[in-house]
Amino acid sequence: MNQKRKIRVLVAKPGLDGHERGAHVVAYGLRDAGFEVIYTGLRQTTEQIVNAAIQEDVDVIGLSILSGAHVSLTRKVLDELKNQKAEDIMVIVGGIVPSEDIRDLKEMGVREVFTAGTPISAISDFIESAIPAD
Amino acid sequence: MKNSWDKLIQGIREKDIRAMARLITRVENREDGWKTAMTEIYPLTGKARVFGITGSPGAGKSTLTCEIARELADRGHTVGIIAVDPSSPFSGGALLGDRLRMQQIFTIKEIYIRSMATRGMLGGLCQAARDVIRIMDAFGKDVILIETVGVGQDEIEIVKTADRVMVVCIPGMGDGIQAIKAGVMEIADLYVINKADKPGADEVEADIQAMLSLSSDLECVAPPVLQTSALKKQGILELVSALLENPADTKKQKVKEEIRIKEEILSLMEREVFRQVRSVWENEGSLLDSVSQVMQKTSDPYTIVKQMLLNHKHR
Amino acid sequence: MAEDNKYLEKIKTQQKEWEENVLQKRVKRFNLKESPTKFYSPLSTIKNDFCEKVGFPGQYPYTSGNNPFDFWRAYAGDAAKMGYRPDWGGAGGVGKYGGFGTAEDYRDYLIRMHSMGRTGGPNMAFDLVTQCGYDSDSPFADGEVGRVGVAIDTFRDFATIYEPYTGALEIDKVPSNFTINAPAAIIIAMYAVLADKRGVPLNKLKGTPQNDILKEFIARGTYIFPPKPSLRLFRDTCVFCTQLMPELNINSMGGYHIREAGASRVQDLAFSMANAAAYLQTGIDGGLAVDLFAPKFTFNAFGGSMEIYPEIAFQRAARRIYARMLKERFHAKNPRSMLIRQPITAHIGCSSTTLQRPLNNLTRAVVGGMAAGMSGGMPGAFPPFDEPMGLGHSQEAVQLQLDATRILIYEAKVSDVNDPWAGSYFMESLTDEIEEQTIAEMEKIENMGGAVAAIENGYMQKAIAKSSYQKQRKIDKQEEFVIGVNCYTGQNEINVNVNREVEASYDPELMKSAEKRQKEKLSRLKRERDNTTVHSLLSTLRQHAKDEAVNLMPDICKCVENDVSLQEICDVFREVFGEFQQAKL
Ligand SMILES: Nc1nc2c(ncn2[C@@H]2O[C@H](COP(=O)(O)OP(=O)(O)OP(=O)(O)O)[C@@H](O)[C@H]2O)c(=O)[nH]1
Ligand SMILES: [Mg+2]
Repeated sequence: MNQKRKIRVLVAKPGLDGHERGAHVVAYGLRDAGFEVIYTGLRQTTEQIVNAAIQEDVDVIGLSILSGAHVSLTRKVLDELKNQKAEDIMVIVGGIVPSEDIRDLKEMGVREVFTAGTPISAISDFIESAIPAD
Repeated sequence: MKNSWDKLIQGIREKDIRAMARLITRVENREDGWKTAMTEIYPLTGKARVFGITGSPGAGKSTLTCEIARELADRGHTVGIIAVDPSSPFSGGALLGDRLRMQQIFTIKEIYIRSMATRGMLGGLCQAARDVIRIMDAFGKDVILIETVGVGQDEIEIVKTADRVMVVCIPGMGDGIQAIKAGVMEIADLYVINKADKPGADEVEADIQAMLSLSSDLECVAPPVLQTSALKKQGILELVSALLENPADTKKQKVKEEIRIKEEILSLMEREVFRQVRSVWENEGSLLDSVSQVMQKTSDPYTIVKQMLLNHKHR
Repeated sequence: MAEDNKYLEKIKTQQKEWEENVLQKRVKRFNLKESPTKFYSPLSTIKNDFCEKVGFPGQYPYTSGNNPFDFWRAYAGDAAKMGYRPDWGGAGGVGKYGGFGTAEDYRDYLIRMHSMGRTGGPNMAFDLVTQCGYDSDSPFADGEVGRVGVAIDTFRDFATIYEPYTGALEIDKVPSNFTINAPAAIIIAMYAVLADKRGVPLNKLKGTPQNDILKEFIARGTYIFPPKPSLRLFRDTCVFCTQLMPELNINSMGGYHIREAGASRVQDLAFSMANAAAYLQTGIDGGLAVDLFAPKFTFNAFGGSMEIYPEIAFQRAARRIYARMLKERFHAKNPRSMLIRQPITAHIGCSSTTLQRPLNNLTRAVVGGMAAGMSGGMPGAFPPFDEPMGLGHSQEAVQLQLDATRILIYEAKVSDVNDPWAGSYFMESLTDEIEEQTIAEMEKIENMGGAVAAIENGYMQKAIAKSSYQKQRKIDKQEEFVIGVNCYTGQNEINVNVNREVEASYDPELMKSAEKRQKEKLSRLKRERDNTTVHSLLSTLRQHAKDEAVNLMPDICKCVENDVSLQEICDVFREVFGEFQQAKL
């Protein structure tokens, strides 16, 4: 009985920003799109996020940041991923991100940025198309 | 294939966490070759002790698991945790949240946490859980904790794969009793009354003791009943010591072990036979034909099954 | 009475006939299941006793308003002639909300603003590091120091901000606002110590600390300790303020944040009321008579949707529920105890604004302003249209927002009638409906054991998460429409681009270097202060924290005065109280 491969996503909130609405909506939405979603709650350190991603063998890390610190926090996560030789794990970012920063984030290696209010299907479609179905 | 089975298995021998994580994913997904892989992994296993943690939703299982793991790590053990949460029956997706309660141990090197969805596999979860336990065991985790919600039969079946099972109850709302009524009694090797920082823990303990004295046959030792507060980190030392203690009744353990192996062989066999038969039927399209025969009332399900099995045997 | 009955009978007959012959016919003609609109007649409100349910403005149960008319309304004409800008402070007001960088950076900024005409006291935003009870040298602070507000590690930082506030701006003359929750006790202590050092009598201090920790657990996430010890700290501030700083507001409770976190209207109201009840009970358990402290409770604006009718009904229901709760449950006698005091009433909330075609947000804010004006508040058009762009507010956007409010007041004369909807069959029945649903939800929470229990078991958090998801699903499935987002997005729709120049309020270079400078300052202070005293004060604090009966404010004041840092105080509490652990979804 071959199972269809399940896509696993870690939804994480780095930094001290406590606005969880977006993370909750995305977590529920991706679950209902058939993904396995791991949500680790607020105030996650870079190390906690990367360790969780590795242990759970997720395909995607979705960072939700609304404090305006998205560039520095994301860079730290990407650095730690490299540090632990896990840079193959795809990183996407959600939050209030001005367009100049979207460009910077993508240059840093973020695969896609979803601003607040993006329909969930846009996120799930993106993930599905970006993850190779092996 | 990004990583061959061999490479991954070599990886776990070298204590590569990513290799273990990937191996678990692929075995859980039942990717081609998984059984061969498990055959190779099997000889590396047998050292870990496996503890099941079950109880009603919100009883504090994850918080307790976190504290137990931390204490075990402090005592020099390496720990694997499997936290099972239900998949959505509608989408097949899952929201795995147990890990949220274990934030504080994310970065302890000796601890590996893995969230697992039930994936609506009829009984299949049990085998998948066994496999994941074995992979962790092979990696070198010497204690493995598996948390499931003690609501469905499936979940109860999973904890049965553990060497010892603790049932987590909480004060108030007759939860202690409820847990027992839900049929977890026969699997409990240990009762934990968590949230003992709240009033009513002694009452639950008395209820459980009363139940136990009613039903225990004289030959076996009654399971211990302990009180903890995972939140206030009380009673954890005692709980961990009780878990690690060798079971008083080794004979009972042996019997349990035999039953477990038997069940595993039977269930693997059942699934394998089913899988083989089904794939033949599906490939040859005879399953669909049969369905339409029944629909058109030219046959009935009983006859169909009999016929199909006969055909299969003659292949 | 017989007359009345005959009258109602007549309406009933006519309504039935209308429904069957007129309405249904049309519904059928358009092939609908039901009418897309509603109509209300006197039948909708036959149960209503006007005096009991609505009352006159400024009278119990305050449905039609807190006052016969508000302070600002009395002087609206003068304000227009003088060109009074509410964002710059003014008589009795605090200035624009803000804060960034180090205390020195923010101080210099305030000095500049005052030279440009700002009046009123500081209205402080704190950085997340401070809000979460850490110092700038904590690993958690990395990258967050001075970012969303000013960094406060010790009393010296706090005092630095107040350097320009002397003379006409002395702290007994201008009020201050502190948007701080988990460590509110420490900031309040700093304010008291500052007054003490300046020889300003404590009972002259004015201002508002947010001090609403319960909504942090369910909406904003900057909690530290579990709910119970958090309420103990609230109790200590409540008693301290009531006894020593009676002019200071005790808190500013958030319905707004709860709604922004995704709560439904009824959840917002019920959870806010349940939280308020928990605070009130805490004050009473602290030995205070309700009428001694309840008048110093405030709210920071309920509301947050584009649905103008229910938002108006919501404000009316809120006033009635709160007044009744105070009177019937808490036996308040002082009418001031029973008022929902809030700076703005209805508004659309930032989550109603869209990044797409952002100028539409001005229209949205105006609708919110209408709702505010018709629900007992100043018709404040909020927020500025460029809010969702995440770059700060441009001068144009702020000007447009202020002008919109002014147009509503002065040209549209929205505020010339109190509770204009009073007696409307429709509005009264909608108000009743919201009230009923809210009370049912409040009872549910009460049965769990109140707000604290409903937070501990994750009920409120889960309910809000589910609501916000449902809301998003409705938009995704086009069951709800948002212009320019999920409809009217075709080729012929254009993006109206506007020239927007952001007020360069905070120097980006300063923001960049703030963390380093703040850390250096802190480490110097930690070296130079009297560390023996610090040590002994902390150990007394620890001792007293363990004893639930002790009011910790005097100890906190002593710590603050002796340069004990915010995190050092919080760490002691972390040790004694533990830290809050989130519930899973
Ligand atoms: N008072 C008290 N609360 C506790 C204790 N242990 C856990 N909790 C709280 O109980 C709630 C549920 O805890 P979890 O650890 O998520 O419980 P669980 O059994 O794993 O829950 P599910 O996985 O959803 O079935 C949380 O709010 C915990 O903080 C305890 O010892 N005392
Ligand atoms: Mg759990």
